[in-house]
Amino acid sequence: MNTQALLSSALAGTIVLECGDERGEFAGVLLAGFGAEVIRLEGKHGSNSRRLGPFTTPDRNPEHSLCFSRYNLGKKSVSLEIEHPAAREALVRLAKQADVIVDSGEAATVARRLEFYREMQRANPRLIVCTITPFGLDGPYRDLKMTDLTHLALGGVMASCGYDPQADGTYDTPPIAPEMWQAYHIANEYAVIAITAALNFRELTGEGDCIDLSIHEAVSTCTEVAIPTYIYNGAVVRRQTGRHAAEGRTRPWLRRTSDGRYVKAFLFWGGRDVRVITEMLNEAGIEHDLESESYRELHRRSPSEAQAHFSAMIDRLVASMTAEEVFHRAQAKGLLWASVRYPEENIDDPHFQARGTFQAIDHPELGRALSYPVSVATDGKERVTDFTRGAPRLGEHTLEVLAGVGFSAVEIAALAAQGAI
Amino acid sequence: MAQSAPARPRPLEGVRVIDLTKIVAGPNATRMLATMGAEVIRVEWHDDRALDLLRGVRPLAPGGEADSVNRSGLFNNINAGKYGITLNMNLPQGRDLFKRLIADASVLCENYSPRQMERWELGYDVLSKINPGLIYLQISGMGKSGTYNAYLSVGPTAQALSGLTHMSGFPEPMPPAGWGYSYLDHSTGYYGAILVLAALLRRRRTGRGCYIDLSQTETGIMVSGTATLEAQVTGKPTDRHGNRMQAAVWAPHGAYPCRGIDEWIAIAIQNDEQWAALVAEIGAPDWTRDARFNSAAGRKANEDELDRLMAGATKNAERYDLMNRLQRRGIAAAAVQKADDRCERDLQLKARDYFVPLPHSEIGTWDIEGFPAKFGKVPIDVGGLPHRGAPMMGEDNDAIYRDLLGLTPQEIATLREEWVI
Repeated sequence: MNTQALLSSALAGTIVLECGDERGEFAGVLLAGFGAEVIRLEGKHGSNSRRLGPFTTPDRNPEHSLCFSRYNLGKKSVSLEIEHPAAREALVRLAKQADVIVDSGEAATVARRLEFYREMQRANPRLIVCTITPFGLDGPYRDLKMTDLTHLALGGVMASCGYDPQADGTYDTPPIAPEMWQAYHIANEYAVIAITAALNFRELTGEGDCIDLSIHEAVSTCTEVAIPTYIYNGAVVRRQTGRHAAEGRTRPWLRRTSDGRYVKAFLFWGGRDVRVITEMLNEAGIEHDLESESYRELHRRSPSEAQAHFSAMIDRLVASMTAEEVFHRAQAKGLLWASVRYPEENIDDPHFQARGTFQAIDHPELGRALSYPVSVATDGKERVTDFTRGAPRLGEHTLEVLAGVGFSAVEIAALAAQGAI
Repeated sequence: MAQSAPARPRPLEGVRVIDLTKIVAGPNATRMLATMGAEVIRVEWHDDRALDLLRGVRPLAPGGEADSVNRSGLFNNINAGKYGITLNMNLPQGRDLFKRLIADASVLCENYSPRQMERWELGYDVLSKINPGLIYLQISGMGKSGTYNAYLSVGPTAQALSGLTHMSGFPEPMPPAGWGYSYLDHSTGYYGAILVLAALLRRRRTGRGCYIDLSQTETGIMVSGTATLEAQVTGKPTDRHGNRMQAAVWAPHGAYPCRGIDEWIAIAIQNDEQWAALVAEIGAPDWTRDARFNSAAGRKANEDELDRLMAGATKNAERYDLMNRLQRRGIAAAAVQKADDRCERDLQLKARDYFVPLPHSEIGTWDIEGFPAKFGKVPIDVGGLPHRGAPMMGEDNDAIYRDLLGLTPQEIATLREEWVI
């Protein structure tokens, strides 16, 4: 799996040591996509994410976790127990040649290790250390226990996501946390912004730094209009099904299609929308009255009733086609609609295939490759980031990495005997 | 008298970004670059077709002229730290001035609709001849290459297509809850910044600029987690699971009602010890002794009943009080915070100075959402080089055209009269 992707060598020669838990693993994937050598120091029992599903086999074998596989793509694995006294010399040597350390987990744990990292910075002033913790390393909430779910709650994402209230304005459904660990995605994306900014700073100054990233603050930045609406107007937005939270109730966007799926079909309610929808209804052979005098009269008399009627006509239009038919026909007319796809439906889509959005990466235990999302951009033709390897087996690179910092076979065996690897 | 140490440079010291972005996704990317010290110059035009819609979007700062385009709170939040100029790109003279700006720029970011830049004869092929080191980030909904390159998209479109809308909410027969805002406008901002920061590191080493075609939909695919992988292994379509945890046998795991109107608490129980602690804190009601709930597997298998009973146990509790009591027992629990909670009650955001008051030349000083990490040495500022909120329309015309392009006051006045700037 050789790579010529435009930015896949942007961080070539950059060595990243990654410690900690599942909260900070995505940053390493993004850095590896830019060509950094990311060494996952995951201990003898392996990263937490090896015990998180889904698994490729029912026995929950830690080598078969798709969670680990996704969030450790492109990394090397070293089984070093970083807090074991016998591991110290190995860590010192690794940190001396490293450019970046990423550590994540509860603040008290990370803060304890930070003392060591600061010591290493005295020996290697170019070292950049990024800690990813629930609330950062200080503040009154520092030691609260958190998961992705509770981050999305406290950070404000859940309050904007969910279902419409009942007719009386009260909710009978809870706020919803969108799936797939988005709090950690957001935090790790910010971590990569911070790390690559620090690498740019180092180019100017030769100095490393310590970055104290708060997952809570990262999530809090990611709620669009919610905070400005309160700051400027003292108002709070309310969640609504499948569309933006808003101060007042808005019209639905999600509509059912003939194949039982959904499309997101929203409108700006301008004359162009009416014209285009009318065209589409005519083309589909669906009877309608949008060109009639009675509809125009309704529009004059009660715009909101006319909108409701128009919306019902769109429902009929959408219900006459499959989700994919609606998507392509609407786009051909310049409407910003899309089918609500399952994520995997994009793998075989010609558009994303042409762009190289997914990369096939071998899974030896499955005897085949799986397609991973690896790039969000092209250079005009090809994807800009990709990977030279999949996720590592536990400790796959322990010998190679320790030998690389001067450990002999005898010394490595001694580390094993002492329980440090 | 001892001399003080010279101030450290900002990470993007000397990097000039010409910013042709609009709405939210693109401006979020350039906001990050401004925070990191780039000189970001927003290039805008003020006729109805060219105006950034966000300048008119609610919430608006109270007071002032009703038709002012400088009062949007969301615009102020997303465009903090940037300079602002006006330039009529529809005129040849305007495009000539643009080329002069590009000649000395490091980065161009734009998110016009497909082919607009080519229509102006300002594509990468033209601009890279003027400035071979230019990093040109072009942001679009689907990407500029591929079969959907003419399709139109905004955040909700990209969320639907990427699979993110589908993966939020209760399973069928409930519709997707989706995202209550344009999450991918944020994500696109993060990835846009990351790609530019990486490209700048590449350019420092190679001297080469590049063209990057960022797809908003692909940023959604990138954060679709393990869903695409699991579907490839099982052959089953991705489902959604409300607030429940699928990666581990964690239950209860959800949002439960609390005292008050639409008040909720998120709770994530990860093991038997936490379950025992939860039972103790809620007063060990009889139902908690039900044999079905004795094990993690049992709780997971009976999650519908467990969630119903949990809702009964939490409904009379004050959400922050319950959060604190559960946290004291080592349980991940958090109030579902709305924007007013985060602004008024969140002690952590206050303690970490999350909100940054920045002056705006028309609407006064307002709190801006900060960057979620603290650096030890690297100087960053969400107020950017001008240390202020968003620019007023054309606020920096005189300074930029004088200092960057060497125009005289008379020349600037003429350009104004001729509707070029």
